[in-house]
Amino acid sequence: MQPDLEQPGTLAPLLRELPDEAAPPYGWSEFRRRAERRARAPRDGSSSSLAALVAIGLGVVALSLRLGEPLRPAPRSPHLAEGAAGVADFAPGETAADSARSEVRTQMLERWLASLPDEPALVRVGDRVAVTGLEDRLAEVDDLLSAEGADQARPVRLQVLQQERRRLVSSLAQVRYAQTLADVSR
Amino acid sequence: MARLTDIVIDDALLEDACAGREAAQRALYAALAPATATLIRRLVGHRALSEDIFQDTMMTFYERLPQFRREAPLGAWLRRIAVSRCLMHLRSPWQRTRLCLEPVDSGVAAEVAQLITPGYGGELIDLERALASLAPTARAVVWMYEVEGYSHEEIAREFGRSVSFSKSQLSRAHRRLRAWVSPEEHRPTCSLI
Repeated sequence: MQPDLEQPGTLAPLLRELPDEAAPPYGWSEFRRRAERRARAPRDGSSSSLAALVAIGLGVVALSLRLGEPLRPAPRSPHLAEGAAGVADFAPGETAADSARSEVRTQMLERWLASLPDEPALVRVGDRVAVTGLEDRLAEVDDLLSAEGADQARPVRLQVLQQERRRLVSSLAQVRYAQTLADVSR
Repeated sequence: MARLTDIVIDDALLEDACAGREAAQRALYAALAPATATLIRRLVGHRALSEDIFQDTMMTFYERLPQFRREAPLGAWLRRIAVSRCLMHLRSPWQRTRLCLEPVDSGVAAEVAQLITPGYGGELIDLERALASLAPTARAVVWMYEVEGYSHEEIAREFGRSVSFSKSQLSRAHRRLRAWVSPEEHRPTCSLI
């Protein structure tokens, strides 16, 4: 007989019995060493005002264009080269026929996005708002996709959500690409 | 399992740590870090990523410690920092996993296995696996609600979402966990994408 997990108080004791970490991942000395290393990381923005303007400008253009004209790739690093390929290849107004190809491209963009550092070298409020707005919308679409995928009741809606997700990933990649471009040009 | 909120810190030790005395800060680390690391790993899943978030959390904790006003227990205060850091991560869509309809393949199985506490072979292994198979958001909601004692309203506030979001995540997670602890032939398939 399996426990009824919907009953209050059934799952909590089981979860609390799960083994926890016997020790922190590292000791105090290592923690201090890592903290000092992070504190020394360059946070100097004094020589970056031009790059900031470029980043914000490109970010705004990318957002306003959404799936419009692809950005001209100017790769200076492996990060940029990979990102530029996906961003530049994205075609607007996709149909059902090329959704599979779009999905492959989206996966490539997501891998590229995942390879970027959590924060760009330079963070500006305008960029940040654009990025977090897109991330939040993506998170919502992911939740809806999970729900629709589990139900399998409305394949058309599932397809629409997948298209929306691809569009959002593309927009996000364009903004992050602009940021990366600005970072490497500093 | 020691929860952060259950850990009692001596007032004198806290006083010394707030004053920046390293010996006291080291003692605080020894007392609080294991439960913090466990909480973060349960919320986030991936071990390497948990380490990064753990480092961020503890750095923030020590930076803000002089401003700690003792309106809540120290463990609860640290838990709030840790949960906030974890949820910031979970908001990044490409770091998230979600349910889909593909069957489990060997790569996914390896990834799930990585989430499970190494060396643990007890009867709760199925629950470990089930927990690891949940989408990160659902896992975080389950852990916050069931283990940390957050209400749906508090979870909704932390996620910046509605109360029904929290309830539906929990309900779906319960269904999935129930399927995992049922006989093997009824187990759902899942994939991490």
